[in-house]
Amino acid sequence: MDALLASAGPLQPNKKNFSKGKSSGGSASSSSNNYVKRNGSTSHQTITRSDGSKIDASLNSILGSTRIPSSFHQSNLASGSGSSSSQIKPDQSLNRIQDKKLKAKLQRQDLNFKQSKLEKNDVNEWLNKAVSGEKGTIEVDEELGEKTWRIKQNEIQNSVGIASSKKKFDLKLENMGTYKIDYTRNGRHLAIASSKGHVATFDWQAGKLHSEIQLKESVRDIKFLHSEDFYAVAQKKYVFIYDQNGVELHKLKQHIDPTHMEFLPYHYLLTTVGHAGYLKYHDTSTGVMLTQIPTRLGSPHSMAQNPHSAIIHLGHANGTMTLWSPNMTTPHVKLLAHRGPVNGIAVDPSETSAGRYVATSGMDGVVKIWDGRMWGKELRSWHVRNQITNLSYSGMGMLSVGGKSGITIYKDLQSGNTQHSPTPYLTLGLPSLTVNSIKFCPFDDLLCVGHEKGISNLLVPGSGEPNFDSGETDLYETYSRRRERDVRGVLEKIKPELITLDTDFLGKINESRGGETYDERNSRSFRQLGRLERLRVNGKADEPQSIEEEEEDDDDDGDGNNAQTKEKVKRKMKGKGGSTSRYLRKKQKKNIVDNNLLAMKAKVAAQKKVEDTRRKIASGEIVKETGALARFG
Amino acid sequence: MISRSLDDHLPSSSTAPHPLQRNLAPHLHPFQKPREYTRAMTAVKMDRMFAKPFVDALGGHQDGVYCLGKDSRRVGIVAGGGGDGEVIVHSLTLRRPLLKIPNAHKGMIGGLSWTSESSDGKRQLISVGKLDGTIKIWKSKAFTPGLREKEVFKGSEFSHGLGDEGAMHLDEAGAIGEEGYQFDDDEEEEGGGLNIDSNKRDKLGENLEPLLTYTNKNGFNGIDHHRTDSIFATASNTVQIWDETRSNSAISNLQFGNSLETVNKIKFNQSETSVLASVGNDRTMCLYDIRTGKAERRIVMQFVSNAISWCPTLPTMMLLASEDHNLYTFDIRNLNSPNQIYKGHVGGVMGCDWSPTGEEFVSGAYDRTVRLWNRESGKSRDVYHTKRMQRVFDVTYTPTADFVLSASDDGNVRIWKSNASKKLGVISTVERQAIEHRQKLIERYSTEKGIKSIKERRHVPQSIHNATKLKREMIESRKVKEDRRRDHSRKGREKPKAERKKAVIVEQK
Repeated sequence: MDALLASAGPLQPNKKNFSKGKSSGGSASSSSNNYVKRNGSTSHQTITRSDGSKIDASLNSILGSTRIPSSFHQSNLASGSGSSSSQIKPDQSLNRIQDKKLKAKLQRQDLNFKQSKLEKNDVNEWLNKAVSGEKGTIEVDEELGEKTWRIKQNEIQNSVGIASSKKKFDLKLENMGTYKIDYTRNGRHLAIASSKGHVATFDWQAGKLHSEIQLKESVRDIKFLHSEDFYAVAQKKYVFIYDQNGVELHKLKQHIDPTHMEFLPYHYLLTTVGHAGYLKYHDTSTGVMLTQIPTRLGSPHSMAQNPHSAIIHLGHANGTMTLWSPNMTTPHVKLLAHRGPVNGIAVDPSETSAGRYVATSGMDGVVKIWDGRMWGKELRSWHVRNQITNLSYSGMGMLSVGGKSGITIYKDLQSGNTQHSPTPYLTLGLPSLTVNSIKFCPFDDLLCVGHEKGISNLLVPGSGEPNFDSGETDLYETYSRRRERDVRGVLEKIKPELITLDTDFLGKINESRGGETYDERNSRSFRQLGRLERLRVNGKADEPQSIEEEEEDDDDDGDGNNAQTKEKVKRKMKGKGGSTSRYLRKKQKKNIVDNNLLAMKAKVAAQKKVEDTRRKIASGEIVKETGALARFG
Repeated sequence: MISRSLDDHLPSSSTAPHPLQRNLAPHLHPFQKPREYTRAMTAVKMDRMFAKPFVDALGGHQDGVYCLGKDSRRVGIVAGGGGDGEVIVHSLTLRRPLLKIPNAHKGMIGGLSWTSESSDGKRQLISVGKLDGTIKIWKSKAFTPGLREKEVFKGSEFSHGLGDEGAMHLDEAGAIGEEGYQFDDDEEEEGGGLNIDSNKRDKLGENLEPLLTYTNKNGFNGIDHHRTDSIFATASNTVQIWDETRSNSAISNLQFGNSLETVNKIKFNQSETSVLASVGNDRTMCLYDIRTGKAERRIVMQFVSNAISWCPTLPTMMLLASEDHNLYTFDIRNLNSPNQIYKGHVGGVMGCDWSPTGEEFVSGAYDRTVRLWNRESGKSRDVYHTKRMQRVFDVTYTPTADFVLSASDDGNVRIWKSNASKKLGVISTVERQAIEHRQKLIERYSTEKGIKSIKERRHVPQSIHNATKLKREMIESRKVKEDRRRDHSRKGREKPKAERKKAVIVEQK
């Protein structure tokens, strides 16, 4: 019995000598020594060599025949950020946690997180970087007065390789109306639609035409669905869906008079808005109309989606921009952006922004850049002389502003002096043409423009994201991999309820328990409290305040979504929404005075008086009458 | 300018895999959390979809099965003791009885245990009678089907000149499934073996005589064998220690002080093998050490405990199955309060057994359900029931931790998977990776409401559902009353008592 108790006793504390030896050495050497054999006697045997030195057989047997796990590799990481990996430590704030197991678990998670972040940085630094220059943009001799925006298209075309110069092509389709264009997500396929009903889809790299149809009615927009197999066309009266061969598959009768369309690929939602100003979400995987939301702002002038949050942006005639999700009948944000109709909206998908920056343009000739975390004031605004018709962001965050007779391209809009109007990166002339639709080709340095005389492709060096991920969007997708992606895509279809302005909300603690009165809140006994509340009562709650602050300090590379304000908990007070006050409000609104109302008013006044007296007695303003006559007030 | 070479992006030959390019930058992977959440949702739904825990029911008993004898060194065998004194040795792999002993005892069987011989062929079955007060040791080659006759007795005193080579250990013992089936026609086995002829088997069982018989004045409620030595302990009105090599009376009697209580169940510790624990009718749990021959300490609890089990990995951890619908784990270094209370059953818990990993355990209750628990959490992980399963009197884990066995009133021993949705059989690496990925996803999002509700939802019979509801209401109203009483009494007079402090009344040394 006692033997059992003794054998299960607490572990002996560690001998201190090891940590002492560690602290005496340099910090760099100590960290690399973590996995090296400790000094001191070992119980296993050693082999004595002829020169007198000893070899630890077990150590050498491992080294000779096996690979050390990569997590143990510390010295072989290249310089730069890699060297700092040996210094990563779990967050200091975790030391406050009492529970040892929980602490160890969280520390492990934190270390993993930091390690993966460093590794990601290393990959970006060593593998995903452009071979030449900063970001593959045009470099000129600024001292000699050379400007990048003076460089013409044919100069670029002559100086780039043959493969790249071949990408610049024009399709001359005159007297067909103005053209709208759309790329698939991997940028392989292009769809064009003219206002007079000419629709075509093709693989522009291979020069292979998939379908070409003449619809003989006005077409306002065209959009690829989840893959190049299907595309939706906003026609004169309804939206139609065609397949790759141009066969009409569906007529979406609920979408009347559509003007703009967007497709949310991860949610399988086709979003349209028409002249009547109804925003409609249609699930293309099940064929069910999800919601129709009246915007009540008339026919919108522009539409864009945020590819990182699936929020739909609409630009309206009165100069407002509104942000929508299918879960709310009112806009998330309503923003007076311009003094004229908002005719161009673009969301920056690049690495630094990740859907945070939005550019808008209005008929007032102004382009504005907005920060999605703070809509109060634009980051930057400037005038553009040609009448702006369209905006588009590239994968590397270049903004193209299309207007009458030309396109201007800007880069690095969030940095530099935001008070001045930015210097253009490139200007591309389209004499006597108005840009009707403008899109950067994903994962390529190419800008496609739709106008009255067909479409034009323009070379914009440094605009496209060079490193695609074949797990997400594969440029060289095979048939079998596409089938796999189709199936997986539907399996992982995100529920529309998860579309929110804050993309990071999933998995957070929802503390607010709205809708309870003061009494309900305070009458709960200890046993009825939630776990967090109990801990708070006992003073053991670990308030996350300080952790957040620390996190923001070291999160300088910016998942800025952490910087959210503390949500205010709406507390309901008893008596505010009571039936009496509602009754009085109703009556007074209608301005009807009758006996009932008078009686009710008298009753409320009497109640108020009693309440007043009681309060005054309580506060000591008046002395409560005691005595025989007190009962008569 | 971006220019990509097809050489890098197309497979080098027709059979080569398609080259993949990765970019882990988050802006190329939007909706990471919602997508992962959707995957977790699919995973948890799949998990529930494939949850088919029931494997088989082993019949053959004429009356209810009230005790199970697990051979902790063999996977494929279990003995069940019936209410009519019948003992049946079941084969789990063949799913039929290997041996039936119809009148092993007069009246109910009190307990079953296997001896600790290291070779399968020599291991014997000990049964005790609840009413007739006898202990019988049985031995038959039917216990080890598939073993050749020579092998059975190799190394034993029955061997003819082969000598005690000790070659017959677990590995070479020829347990079922290790050597395969041997349907040799020329090798005539008398009802034993794998080619079971049920008539011969029954005849063998009827004619089987016990190797040894001990008699006692009182009936026995439980038995447990020492892990290595040839000693076993029985529970009657006292705890008695017996030596299986001696054919006379018990070698010692153990009892706490002068208390005269009926001992219900008894268990040896698996690590410190001379320590044993018992639970008794006086709501007690008592610890003994057979080296000193003394009862060391005892606790009295609010309710009587029906079963006891020692954790195989944590030597000081023990589990009590209590009549108050709960299970308790105790660290015997601190018997003042239980380590953890496990709530969920709505009937007295009749049996419990640890998983060989020591991380989980199983319990069976009078409410006709079997529940599986994690050691760390007070809520049950899973609940098993079928329409025809009656009150469960004993449960046990198989030594591989893959299956759980339950013995119930309806005369069946049921085999359940210990993990309801686990796939049996060979699993390829790809599949295993997918399964592990899904499990990780579920674990990660298991606090989220939608996933949690799917993960934790279990369908239980109407009666259990109603009983749970009623119980919850009763406890709630009791607590409300306590709250009110506290509100109207002087401050500090009526302090709330922690649930864990309520379980133990007194610890005696």
